[in-house]
Formats: sequence, C-alpha cells, structure tokens
Amino acid sequence: MNGNILIWLLTVPLAVSLLAFGARVAAAWSRRILEGLHLAGITLLLVLSLVTVKSVLTTGNLSAIGAWFYADHLAAVFVLVIGVMGFLNGLYSIGYMRSELARGEVTTGTLSTYYGFFHLFLFTMVFTVLSNNIVLMWAGIEATTLGSAFLVGIYGHRFSLEAAWKYVLICSVGVAFALYGTILVYSNSFQLLHHAGRAILWTEIIKGAGMLDPLVMKLAFVFILIGFGTKAGLFPMHAWLPDAHSEAPSPVSSLLSGVLLNCALFAIIRYYMVAGQSLGTGFPRVLFLVFGVLSVAWAAFLIFIQHDLKRLLAYSSIENIGLITVSLGIGGPPGVLAALLHIINHSVAKSLLFCTSGNVLIKYGTRDLHTIKGMFRIAPFSAFLLGSGALAIAGCPPFNIFISELLTVSAGLQRGYLWLMVACLLLLVIVFTAFLRLIGEAIFGSPPGNVARGDVNWQTILPVFLLFVLMLGLGIYIPAPLYQLLKGAVSIVNAGI
Amino acid sequence: MNGINLVNALAVVLIVTSLMVVEARNPRFSAQLYSIQSFVLVLIFFSLAVFMKAEPLYIWSVTALVTKVILVPLIVIRALKRVGNPSEPGTSLNPVVSLFIAAVFVGLAFLIVTPFHMQAVIKLKPALAVSIAHFMLGLLCILTQRNALKQILGYCLMENGAHLTLAFMAFNAQETVEIGILTDAIFAVLIMSLIAVRLFSVLGTLDTDQLTSLKG
Repeated sequence: MNGNILIWLLTVPLAVSLLAFGARVAAAWSRRILEGLHLAGITLLLVLSLVTVKSVLTTGNLSAIGAWFYADHLAAVFVLVIGVMGFLNGLYSIGYMRSELARGEVTTGTLSTYYGFFHLFLFTMVFTVLSNNIVLMWAGIEATTLGSAFLVGIYGHRFSLEAAWKYVLICSVGVAFALYGTILVYSNSFQLLHHAGRAILWTEIIKGAGMLDPLVMKLAFVFILIGFGTKAGLFPMHAWLPDAHSEAPSPVSSLLSGVLLNCALFAIIRYYMVAGQSLGTGFPRVLFLVFGVLSVAWAAFLIFIQHDLKRLLAYSSIENIGLITVSLGIGGPPGVLAALLHIINHSVAKSLLFCTSGNVLIKYGTRDLHTIKGMFRIAPFSAFLLGSGALAIAGCPPFNIFISELLTVSAGLQRGYLWLMVACLLLLVIVFTAFLRLIGEAIFGSPPGNVARGDVNWQTILPVFLLFVLMLGLGIYIPAPLYQLLKGAVSIVNAGI
Repeated sequence: MNGINLVNALAVVLIVTSLMVVEARNPRFSAQLYSIQSFVLVLIFFSLAVFMKAEPLYIWSVTALVTKVILVPLIVIRALKRVGNPSEPGTSLNPVVSLFIAAVFVGLAFLIVTPFHMQAVIKLKPALAVSIAHFMLGLLCILTQRNALKQILGYCLMENGAHLTLAFMAFNAQETVEIGILTDAIFAVLIMSLIAVRLFSVLGTLDTDQLTSLKG
C-alpha cells in the first residue's frame, strides 16, 4: 500500500496555511502574492484528492504513518468532496474577497488571516476523514471548529463575533461528549486486543467489533451521536449553525455547510459500523431516524418563515443533513447509497447557493429578502444561478438533489417505512414551497431603484457556473468511477452488519 | 489509606473544588481556583501512576501541571486583565442548590458506570463516577453562568472530567494521543478567550445574555 499520497494530502494545505500566515508576519504580503499562494494551494489539493480517489479505486486501501492515516472507499468519497469543494469555493473566494476589500469590509491584512485560516480549515477536514486513529479523528473534528471560528468572526462586528462565540462554545462542548464516546470505545477495544497501539485504530476495532461489550458500545454510540451530531447540525444540537453559516463570509458558509457537516457525519458513520456489529443496527438506526426526521421537520418550518437569505440556506442545511441521517436510519445498501449520494449532491447544490448569496450580498448589500427583489433585471446571470440552485435544493428534476431524494424515498418504501416517507414528503413540500416563493420574490419581483445593474465580476461567476454544471451533470448522469466509488463505500458500511 | 482510597478521596476533592470554581463571584478568583483544581487532577494522575503502576501517567502529571495548572489559568487571567476583570453579571446558583445538583450528578454518574465490568475500572468506579459528574458540572457552569469567561472555565471543568476519565480508562494509549487532546483543549481556551475579549471590545460586557442579535 502506497500511503505517500496521504501525507502530501495532509502536508499541502497545512504548508499553504502557514505560508499565508507567515506572509503577514513577515509583512511580505500583497493581495496578488496571497491570491497566487491560495490558488496554488487549492489546485494542488484538488489534484491530490483526485489522485487519492484514483489510487483507492485502482490499488485499494491506502495507509500512512503506522496506519494512523487511512483511506478506503468511504474516506475517498469525503476526500473527493473536500478536494472539489475546497477548489471551487477557494476559486470563488478570490473574487468575493476582492469585492469585500473594495467595499471596505476587510483590509488587505485581513486577507492573509482569511487565506491562512481557509487552508487550515481544509487541513483539519482532510485530517479528520483520513484519521484511522479514533482519538486523532476526534481531535481533528475539534480542530475544524478552532480552524474555522476565526473565519466566522472575520468581519469583527457584533453579529459575526456573536456567531463565532456561539459556534466555538456549543461545538466544543458538544464534541467533548464525543470524546467520552471515543474513550469508551478505545477502552472496550483495549480489553479485547490488549495492545494500545492497535486498540486505537479504527481498522482494528472494526475487525473485533462483534466481540465488544454491547452495553458499553450502546452508551458510547449515544455520546458519539450527541457529540458529532452537534457538529453535524442535527436537531436539537443545531443552535450554532444558522448563526455561524449566515454570518461567515459566503465561501466559508459554503464550506461549513457543504463540507464540514459531512466530516462530522463521516465520523458518525465510522462508529455506526462498529456499533452495528457490536449491538446490531436496530438501536443506532432508530436514533438516526428520530434525529433525522426531527431535524427535517424543525428546519422545514424555519425555512418557511425565513426572510434572511443566508439563514434560510443554513436551515436548509439542517434539513438536508436530517435527510441524510434518515437515509442512514433506513439502512441497507439502498439507504446508505442514498445517504452518500445526497452528501455529494447537497455539497454541490449548497455551495452554489451560498456562493450566489455572496453575489446577492455584493449587489444588494443586504440578506433581507424583503429588499432583494427583481434580481433577474439587476444581475441576470447570478439570478439564473440562484434560481437553478433553489429549484435543485427544492428537489426538482433534472438537478442532482432530485436523484438522491428519490433514492431516499424509494429505499424507505423498499424497507417498509411507508408512513415515515409520507411524513418526509410532506415536509419536503413545505421546503419546496419556501424555495418557490424565494424564486418568485427575489428573482422576478420589481428591483429597488438604488441597485446598480450588471453582474458581479467574472471571478465570482465562473466558480458558481462550474458548480451549476456539476449540479446539472450529476442530475443526469453519474460517472462510472463515481458510481464505483460509491458502490465500494456502500459495501464497506454494510460489511458485517 | 491504600492507593485506591486515596484516588477516590482526591476525586471527591475535585468535585468540591469544581463547585468552588462555579460559585466564585470574582472571575479572576475563579480562574485561580481552577488552577488549584487542576493541581488536584495532577495529584490523581500521580497517585494512579504510583499505586496502579500506570507509568504513562507520570508524563501525564507533568503535562497537566504545565498546561492546566499554569497555562490555561494564565490565558484566562490575561484575558480578564484585558477586559478589567468585570464581575458582572453573576447569576450563580445558590450554593445549596449547587451542592444538591452535584449530588444528583454523582448519583447519575454512578448509575452510568454501574454496568461497566472492565478490569481497568472495576475498583475505581467511585472515582470514574466522579469524573463523569465533574464533566456534567462543567456543563452546568456553562448553562448557568452569564459571564463569557466563566463559561470558558465551565468548558475547562468539562475537559478536566474527560481527562480524568481518559486517565482511568485509556492511560495506556500512546502519549501522542494525550498531546493531541491537550493541544485541542488549550487552543479552544485560547480562541474562546480571544473571541470573548473582542466581544467585550464591541459590546462593552461579557454578559452572554446580551448576545441576542441573531435569532430566528
């Protein structure tokens, strides 16, 4: 197994982050140098993530540094999401932060902090999904909070600082619960393996998962679900999410929503596999269904009453994470396939919407949907992208979300959850109505007179257009390598359960 | 007094000191009490190392002494200095109620650890229960205290509880694991303190009840 690629995957974002911070310390920064460094960093990360996926598909699992880092098909799905979304959101960041600089929202000095933390955040997410050492996986998730808290509060005004405070406090407290779960699993595994080095590796734990103490495992899984569920934004531990996602700069909102939430779900899936073998899938799946449906229900009503564009999108993230959790609760190969595909599809559609919301903010100077009207006449291309994204996230064909939602419902019906699926569909109708209203009012209404006509710069349009191509493409066709990757990941999750 | 009794007794002292951290009106004094409390934690690690022959815990004692007895209180006290150590707002619980809640938490924690049959913890169940109760007391501190820096100390109490559980159940894990957890904890305190100070510079208060701009 050649694990060198994993080391590169970890080293590059960390090195770029340090260089961006270092540029500020050495007072050697200029906007162009920072942007060049940032562009090189996101491009390298994209290439490395694609090479990792290819290696997993062709040569099998990869591991590095005494198996502390590990990539199988499941990890590769998340590496792919981080690499592609990191690149596209990173690309969007360049144009967006230039506009923020021009509007006086940030200074050139702040740019160095922004790009430094942007790559640190990417590093912590890659670290999490590649960690085979369960304590390091926990440390990685905690580090994602610490790496992104300053990005949330980067504007330094009352609202963003309030959001950053709630984010870091609630997530740190929540993730502390997951530490308890991690300790219980390790201790349980040590009893079995009598080897500290092996007992801490997920790949070793899963081998003997069937012999772990089910009672301890049950308690551990509850702690894990509460802890990492807080980070994933599951109801009722979601309180930090609408604030952090709405107050952060738009590309960061996009990363938080489209990538970070998935990393927490990744950790939950890893423990679900262990719990499934130790105590059967009944208990974890019931928890998934309860937390999932409650998240969809709570979010659906709050999406409906929102008048703040970014908060509306944030609640939509809770709804989609709830839907993914419901799919996991349905279980079996169809449920897990639906969950993993929805993870990818939601990342693409939500990144598109958050980035477009950044364009809206630049044009209108507000997120208030009472003011954002007639976008089609103001910025037609951004309006087209916002409308497409809204239709996609509402579940309309031919976009990608429609496919994974259809898969979820058919998996549910296949496994006998008729009433649950009826309830989910009714809740999705509420979400659909809310997004239809958004299109009607924001895109087709009468524009306010004081907004200059014309789209924002091409740097903010191109990445969103690429996201649109992905969103539409994945709705029509799933490429063979991606299907192969998903199929492999589904087999891994269901193995031994 | 044998080793097990000493560890169990020290675990009880830990609960008492954490109640003092929660109850202290002056945030700076609270941070100093946290330092004392962390020293009790160090003593527990040391006792476990000596009496249970848990050798890795000698190193844990040293790292906890440096990070929790010295570094974390220093970060919080420095942040308090920058904001003038405001004692407002102080909706501390009545000490009698706090004691009652602590007792309930210990009882609950005993219920949680009762089914554990693992060899490593079988003799130390009271101490393990106290460590879990300690974690819950930290959570109580965050939920009931309105001062942002007191809430940070609440997080530190939770972290000390988790650290103690780690010492009971996973002291044989590689040293890098403890370093990873401690590094995260220190950075969490550092980042929370920095944000709290910036919040104070914008709002002029550390009262988290004033953080009500973002709703709905």
